[in-house]
Amino acid sequence: MNEQFRVAHKLGLMFRPETPLPDDVKSWAISQLHSKSPALGFMLVSRGTNTPIQEWPRELQPSLNERVQMWRTFWINEDLARAKKDGQDSASKQNENRKNLWGERDELKFVHRNIYGEDQLRLRFMAFWINHFTTGNIFDNINTIGHAMDTVVLANLNSSFSDMLYKSTTHPSMLTYLDNIWSSGENSAEARDARKNGFQAGLNDNLGRELLELHSVSPSAKYTEKDIRNAANVLAGWGIELKRTDEWMRSQGADISDYSNLYKKRWAEPGVKNVMGKVINQGKGGLRELTDFLASHDHTIKHLSTKLAQHFVSDNPSKSDIIYIENAWKKSNGNLNQIHTAVIERAILSKEPKFQWPMTWLFQTLRLSGATFVHGWDDLNQDRSIFKRLMRVDKIFVELGQSFWSARQPDGYSSDKAEWISGEMFERRIRFSEAIYKAGRPQYNTIQIMDRIGAGAPTRKLVDGFRNEKEKFIALMCSPELMGLENV
Amino acid sequence: MSKFKLTRRDFLKASGASLFLAGLPIPGYTQDKPPGTISVIILEGGMDGLTAIPPFGDPNLMSMRKAITPENFLKLNSFFGLHPSFNFFSGLMAKNNAAVVHATNFPYVLRSHFEGQNLMQGGGTAPFSETTGWLGRSLDLAKTPGRALSLDMPLILRGHNEVDNFFPASIKSSSKLKDNLIDMITRSHANESAASFGKLKKKVGMEVKNMPRDPASLAVYAGKEMAKENGPLASVIKVDRFDTHANQGADENGNHGAQLTIVDDILKGYKEGLGDAWDRSIILTLTEFGRTAFANGTNGTDHGYGSAGLLAGGMINQSKIIAQWPGLAKRDLFEERDLMSTIDYRSVCAACIEKALGLNHDIIADKVFYTPKLPRVYDYIFS
Repeated sequence: MNEQFRVAHKLGLMFRPETPLPDDVKSWAISQLHSKSPALGFMLVSRGTNTPIQEWPRELQPSLNERVQMWRTFWINEDLARAKKDGQDSASKQNENRKNLWGERDELKFVHRNIYGEDQLRLRFMAFWINHFTTGNIFDNINTIGHAMDTVVLANLNSSFSDMLYKSTTHPSMLTYLDNIWSSGENSAEARDARKNGFQAGLNDNLGRELLELHSVSPSAKYTEKDIRNAANVLAGWGIELKRTDEWMRSQGADISDYSNLYKKRWAEPGVKNVMGKVINQGKGGLRELTDFLASHDHTIKHLSTKLAQHFVSDNPSKSDIIYIENAWKKSNGNLNQIHTAVIERAILSKEPKFQWPMTWLFQTLRLSGATFVHGWDDLNQDRSIFKRLMRVDKIFVELGQSFWSARQPDGYSSDKAEWISGEMFERRIRFSEAIYKAGRPQYNTIQIMDRIGAGAPTRKLVDGFRNEKEKFIALMCSPELMGLENV
Repeated sequence: MSKFKLTRRDFLKASGASLFLAGLPIPGYTQDKPPGTISVIILEGGMDGLTAIPPFGDPNLMSMRKAITPENFLKLNSFFGLHPSFNFFSGLMAKNNAAVVHATNFPYVLRSHFEGQNLMQGGGTAPFSETTGWLGRSLDLAKTPGRALSLDMPLILRGHNEVDNFFPASIKSSSKLKDNLIDMITRSHANESAASFGKLKKKVGMEVKNMPRDPASLAVYAGKEMAKENGPLASVIKVDRFDTHANQGADENGNHGAQLTIVDDILKGYKEGLGDAWDRSIILTLTEFGRTAFANGTNGTDHGYGSAGLLAGGMINQSKIIAQWPGLAKRDLFEERDLMSTIDYRSVCAACIEKALGLNHDIIADKVFYTPKLPRVYDYIFS
C-alpha cells in the first residue's frame, strides 16, 4: 500500500473515495487528533436516493437526562404490561415502548460515524478507549453506553488520561455495569440501618477491583485484597440505579441536577482510606484523589503504553516502541494529545503489519469500496423492506463477533491477533465481503481500489487470479494486506 | 434441619456414594484404555460452588449466605445438596453417570477473572505463561482432533493443528463458499492465518443453515459430531455471566440459578447428541474461581477461590461426591473469606484426559500441566 493508506490502515479507517490524500501523512495523522467529530450519516437508504446528513438531528442525540427519563418510562410501561394494564401488553404498545431504548440507535450512530466520518483517527482512538473502559451490555445500561462513548471518551480525547479515567469511573454506564450502584460502605449510614433491620448491605468490590486490574495499574502493581476493598470503599456511594425516582435519589443524599454525577451520601464510607499507600480523604472528592493517583502511577503508564502499542503499532511491539510512548506519557503528565501523537509516530515508523479487529476491517472495507451496507436512521421506522437486503446493525456486530453493545467481560476485546484467528472468524470475513459486494453495491471496483491504495504485488496477483468481480472483491478484502497480516 | 425442604428427591441419597479424601492421592500408572471423548464446559465469571453444590451439612453455611442458598435443593447425601437448576444432572447422579468434585480449583488465588481464565485454559504454572491450552496439548499428544463451539478459538484448545471451531454464520446475501476461492486466499496467507482459512474447505459441505446457537443446541450438535466414526474426540462450550456480584438469587429463578440451568441443558444436549457414544464420553466443567463464602453487601458474591466441578458421562460408572471438605468456619476459609481448595482441579482434568484419551498420567502431568508431581485422582473418579 502507498504510505497514505498504510498509515490509514494502521491508525485510521481508510480514506473514503471522495477524500483527497494528504501529501504529508504524518502531519495529517497528528492533525486528525483535533478534527471535528460530528455524527455523520444517512437518514434514509431505502428510497433509492441516500440523504446524507452532516449532523444527526437534536432529537436523535438525547442528553443523559432524556435517556434516563426514557429508561424510567420503559420500565413503567413494562410493569403495566406485566400487570396487563392500559393495553401495554399489546404488540404495538410493546413495540412503541422499545423506542425508549437507545441501544440500536446508538449503534447505528456509531456505525455511520465510522463509515462516513472524516475524523478517522479520532474514531480509532475512540474505539480503543471505549474498549479499554468496557461497559458491556447487561441491559440495565443499554441507554447509557452510547452516552459514555460521547462524554467519557470522545469529549476527553484531547484532555488527560486522568480526566478520562475519572469520567469513566463515575459514568452511570460503568457504575451500573460493574455493580457499584448497589455497593455501600461497610460503615455507611445505609449499611448500618440495613443491618439493624435485618437486611444485607455493604460492599461490592467489582468496580474497585477492575479499576485497579483493568483500567489502571494492572496486577503487575501487586496490590492486595485490602487495596481492592479500600478502593471499593472509596467508590461506595457512587452511582444510582437509574430506574429509581428523583425523589428516592434525593432521599439518599444525592444531588440530581446532573445524572452523570450521582453520589449517595448515605451510602459512603466514613473516614480516610488507604489504597496502595495513598491516603484518600473521605467524601465525594476522595474518588478523584484515587483516580488521579492511579492515572499517574508507573504501572498504569506501562500497562497502557503496552496496550496502545499492541493496538496501533504492531502485533509484537518492540520495547523501544513501548518506552517511547511511556516517555511521552511521563513528559506530558498523561496528556492524551501527546500520548496519541507518540503512538502515531511509532506506528508510522514501524513497518510491521497490524492485524485489524473485525469491526475495523468492516468499516475499512465499506469506506474503500463506497458500498452502502448499513441502513439509515429513518429506515428503522419507515421502510422495513430494506431489511430484506441489509442486515440490522446489531445483527452485523453479532455476526462479526464484536460489538460494544454486547454482553461481555470487562476486559474488552483483545488486540492480540491470536484471539481473532480462527476458521469461523475468517469465514465471517469472506461471507461479509460477499454480502457487501452483493447487498452493498460498491461504487468502486477492485482495480480502482487497488490503484488508489497502491496495492502490493501479492495482493494484485491474488485478485487477478479470479475472473468474476465478486470473487475479486472477496479476495481483495480477505488479502493479507487488507487484513493486516503478513504475506506468504 | 427442619428449615431445609428435603422432601422431593431423597432417592439420590442412596446412589450418591460420597467419598471424602483422607489425603493427597498417590501418583500411579494405568494401562491404556480404549479412547473416549472429552468435553469441557467453561463457566466464565466464576461459578459459585457453594450455591451449585450447597454443603448443607456444614453448620456455617446458612449464617454466611442465607439469601443466596436455595432452600429447595436436592439432597445428594447427608452433607451435600444439588442446586434445583440441576434437574437433568440429578438424574445422571441417580443413574451413576455423574460425579461432583468440591472444594477444588486450579492453584490460583489472586481472584482476577482474566488471569484465572487464562490459567485454567492454558494449564501452565502461571497466568499468561502459555500460548497453547491443556486440552490442545493433550489432543496433540493423543494425535486426535477437537472442536470448539464458539466464534473464537479458545486458548484451551490451541496447540494442536487439527482442532477447529464451529459457530454457524447467519449473514444475509452470503452463499456457499467455493473451494477455489478458499484455496487461493489460503495460499496468499502465511502461518496461522493460512491454516485458519485452510480449515474453511472442510466446512463447505456442512449444513449450517438456521442452526440454533443456544448452548444446548450446540451441545446436541457437538454430541452428534463426536458420535461419528471419525468425529472429533473433544469439544468445548463456553457459558458466561457467572460473575454475580449483586442480586445473585438463590434458586433456579435467580441470576446464578439461570446460568446453572444452562449448564444442565448443555449436559442434556450432550446426552441427546451423543446417543450410544454417551457410554464412552466424559464431560467436565471448568471455572476460574469460586466465589466468596460470605454473601457480600449486595446479595451477591465477590471473587473467591475454591469452587466445585461437575463431571458427567457414561465413562463414570459410580456417582460420587469427591471432596476433602475444608469447612466454612472463618479460620478454615482461605484468607478468612473463600472456600479453600483442597483438590487441585488440574488433577481432575488429568484424570478425565487419562480416561478419555488413554494417556498415561505421568505424561499428562509432565507434558500437559508441566507439574510432574501432580497428584493422580483417577481412581477416586473412575473406579
